[in-house]
Amino acid sequence: MVFLGGQVLPGNVGRAILGPFADQRAVDALNHTLGVDRPLLTQYWSWISNFVQGDMGTSYIFRSPVAPFVIDALGNSMKLAAVAFVLVVPIGILGGVVAALNLNRPLDRIISLGGLSVTVLPEFVTGIILILIFGVWLRWLPISAAWPRDAGFFTQLYYLILPSLPLFLVLFGYIARMARSGMIEALDSDYTRTAVLKGLPWRTVIWRHVLRNALLPTITVIATQTGYLIGGLVVIETLFRYQGIGSLIFTAARGKDFPMLESGILTIGIVYAVATLVADFLYSVLNPRIRLGSDQ
Amino acid sequence: MSKNYTILDLIRRNRTPLENHLIDGLVDGRVSRRDFVRHGSLLGLSLPLLGRIGMAAGLGGMPTLARAQGAPGATIRVASSVPAATIDPVTIADAGGLLVMQQVAEFLCVDGPDLVLQPALAESWKPNDNGTVWTFKLRKGVKFHSGGEMKADDVVASIDRLADPANSSNALSVFTGILQRGASKKVDDYTVEFHLDAPNGNFPYMLSSDNYNAVIIPASYKGDYEKSFDGTGPFRIEKYTAKVGASFVRNEDYWGPKALPERTEFTFFTDMQPQILALQGGQVDIINQMPVLAGVALLNDPNIDIISLKSSAHQQLHMRCDEGPLKDARVRRAIALCLDRDKLAAGLMKGRSALGNDSPFAAVYPSTDTSVPQRKQDIAQAKQLMEAAGLGQGFKITLTTERYLEIPEYAQLIQNWVKEIGVQLDLNILDQSGYYGDAVFGKSNWLDSVMGITDYGHRGVPNVYLAAPLKSEGTWNAAHFKNKDYDALATSYIAALDLEAQKADAGKIQKLLLEETPVIFGYFYDYLTATAKGVAGVQPTAMSQLFLDKASKA
Repeated sequence: MVFLGGQVLPGNVGRAILGPFADQRAVDALNHTLGVDRPLLTQYWSWISNFVQGDMGTSYIFRSPVAPFVIDALGNSMKLAAVAFVLVVPIGILGGVVAALNLNRPLDRIISLGGLSVTVLPEFVTGIILILIFGVWLRWLPISAAWPRDAGFFTQLYYLILPSLPLFLVLFGYIARMARSGMIEALDSDYTRTAVLKGLPWRTVIWRHVLRNALLPTITVIATQTGYLIGGLVVIETLFRYQGIGSLIFTAARGKDFPMLESGILTIGIVYAVATLVADFLYSVLNPRIRLGSDQ
Repeated sequence: MSKNYTILDLIRRNRTPLENHLIDGLVDGRVSRRDFVRHGSLLGLSLPLLGRIGMAAGLGGMPTLARAQGAPGATIRVASSVPAATIDPVTIADAGGLLVMQQVAEFLCVDGPDLVLQPALAESWKPNDNGTVWTFKLRKGVKFHSGGEMKADDVVASIDRLADPANSSNALSVFTGILQRGASKKVDDYTVEFHLDAPNGNFPYMLSSDNYNAVIIPASYKGDYEKSFDGTGPFRIEKYTAKVGASFVRNEDYWGPKALPERTEFTFFTDMQPQILALQGGQVDIINQMPVLAGVALLNDPNIDIISLKSSAHQQLHMRCDEGPLKDARVRRAIALCLDRDKLAAGLMKGRSALGNDSPFAAVYPSTDTSVPQRKQDIAQAKQLMEAAGLGQGFKITLTTERYLEIPEYAQLIQNWVKEIGVQLDLNILDQSGYYGDAVFGKSNWLDSVMGITDYGHRGVPNVYLAAPLKSEGTWNAAHFKNKDYDALATSYIAALDLEAQKADAGKIQKLLLEETPVIFGYFYDYLTATAKGVAGVQPTAMSQLFLDKASKA
C-alpha cells in the first residue's frame, strides 16, 4: 500500500536529492546508482525479502542503513510518549473522577469545560504559547527537546517536560471526560448502591467497585491514543526539534525515501498492535467477565 | 584628488589589454569604483593592486575590510535547515547540507557579500585574450585536514568530478556548455588551466563559492564524504549526526589566520518558527538564513541584529509565449504593468528587497544598465494593450506555483492586481515536489504550466538566469520563449570579458525582455541572517554560506 502510494507521488528520488535545477543526466545517473530505475516489483521484492530477515535496507536519501534511524527515532518517540503518558493518564483520570464525584458542581464544570477547551486548541498553538512563556520569557525550560549528547535520565526528562505539555493539554480533556462519564455510570449502577447499602466505607466503594468498572472504556481510549503519541507527533517534533518517528516518516515521504518510509510505517504498525494487545490484556485483568479461557 | 599618471603608467605596463581597458574606464569615469573593484576581481587583479590603481586614479584608497577583532575562543551556535540528503560535494544541493560542507571545505575563490571575488585556495587567475582559457595559480602550503598538501591534481580531480555526466553531479547544470570533463588541465603542481567550450567572461564565478559544489577535496575521494569531511578550511569536523546537528573545532594547521572561535555548533531545524524561538530563547546565536515573512518578529527585535545582503534571488513569474492568450506579447506586458512593485518591496518584502525590471539584471550586478527605465504600475496602459490584443473583455487563466517562502502571498497580490484589467486568475498552489515534478518538459507543472511562479536562488553573475530559463533551448525555459535575437545577445553577453561590452549587451537584453516580457521579475529579495546582540564578525553570503572564522561573542 505504502509502496504503491509512494509511486503515485510526483517526482523521483534522484530529483528529490539533486533538486529541480539539476541536469537530467545527473538525475538519471543517481537513480541508476540507487537502483530506483529498476522495475517496481523488483524494488519491492528486494526490500520486503530483506525486511522479513530483519534488514530494513539502505536509505536512498542518506545512503546508509535505515535501521539506526528508525530505532533511534522510535526510542525518542517512546520517551516523549512515556513522559506525556505518565503526566496525562493519572491526572486525566483523577480529573474525571473528581469531576464525577462533584457532578454538576462548579469544580465539575471547570474540569469538563477547561479540559474540552484546551483539547480543541491545536498543539502547535499551545506549543508556541508554552515555549514563549517557559522558554523565551521565563527561561525555565529548554526550547528544544533535543538534549545534549550523553545526557543522563534526569536531563533527558528535563528536556522532555516542555514538549510533553502540549500533548498533555490535547489528551487531558479527552481522558478526563471518558473517566468522568464512566464514573457517573458506575456510581449510578445497582452494584454501587448495593455496596453502599451493605455498609461498606465510601472509600472502599470507590476503589473496589466504582473505579474498577469506570476505567474500562478509558483504557481503550488511552490505548488508541498510543499510536498517535508515538507516530503522529510531526507538528510537536518539528516545533521542538525532536527526532521522533513521526517526522522521520514525514521527511521520508517527501524525499520518496521508500526503505525509510516503509520501515518507519511498519514499525509504527507494530507498536500500535502491541499497544492494543496490552490494552486488551489490561481490560481482561480489570474485567473478569472477558478473561480468556474462563469458564463463565 | 588628482590623478597620478606616473604610477598609473607603471601599473599599466605589466597589464593585459583587457585589464588596461578596465583601468581606462575607471580613469575616464565610465566605470564606477564599485564596478571597477568587482570586475577587476573577476579578471584576477588582487585587491591591494585594485586599491593602488584607485589611489593613483585619484579616487582614494579601498574601503578597508579590517574591523576590530573580537575575542577568540567563543563557541558559536548556529541554527540551520536540516541537510536534506547525504552530504556529498558532488550531489549536494540543499542549503543545510551545503552549509555543513562549507565549514570544512574551501573554494578556489569566494564570491563575497559585495560580489567581489576574493582569492581563497587560488591566489590569482587570468583569462587568455578571448576568454576561452582561464589559468588559476594555486596557493602553496595548503594542507587537507587528512594531512596531504593541496595541489593541482586535487583541483583537477575535484572540478573534473563535477563536470562528468556519469557522476550525478549537481554542478552539471552550471558546467554544461562551458566546461567538459577532461578540460581542466594541470600545468604544474600549482597551476591549473581550464579550457572552455566557448568564451566566458564570468568563468571564475563558476569556480567560486557561487557554484556551491565546487569545493576542493583530495583527488583520492571515492564518495562517502560523511566519513571524512575532508577539506582545507579553518574548521575541522568534530561530530556530524544526520538530521540532528554538527560541531566543528578550530583547525590549528590552517593556511590563513587561525579561526577566532574555538568551536562551532550547528543545530538542524525542519522549520523556521522553532529557529526563531531558539534565537529569542538564547539557545542559538545565529539563524543562518531567515526568510523575511517568517522572520517578521525578529526584524524589529532590539535583542537581535539582522545582516541584510543585497542579492539576486528572486521569484520568476513565467508566461507561456507559445500558446493561449499569453502568446501575445502585449498581453504579457499588460500583466506586468499591473504589478505595484513599490508596494511589493515595501509591503510584502518589508523593505528588504530591490525592484525588478522584468529581466535577470538585478541592481547588484555591475553589468546592469541602470539607464533602462524602471517598469511601474500603469493600469490605463495595461487596459489599452489588452484592447489592442483583442482581449479587452479579459480572460480566465490558471497560475500554478509552489508553496514556498512568500510565493503564495505574492500570487494573491498578482491575482488582485490583474482583476483590474479583467484577467481572472485561478491559483493552483502546490507542494514543491508537486510543482517541480520530474523537472523535465511534459512531466512538470513548473515547465508545462501556462503561468507559474518559481523561486530562483542567488547567483553572483546572471549567466545561469540568462541561459536555462530564457534561451530557446534552455532546460528551464518554462515560458517557452524562443527568440533568436535574445539567444545571440545572451551568448554575446556571456562571452564578453570587458565590463563595458557586458553593459552594452545587458542594456539590449533588458530592453528586449521589457518588450517581450516572457518572465516577470517583480523584485530581488535580500538575504537575511539574524544574530543575537553581541555576536560579531559573522560573514554570510547570499548563497547560504556562512563564514565564522572571524566570529566572536561579547
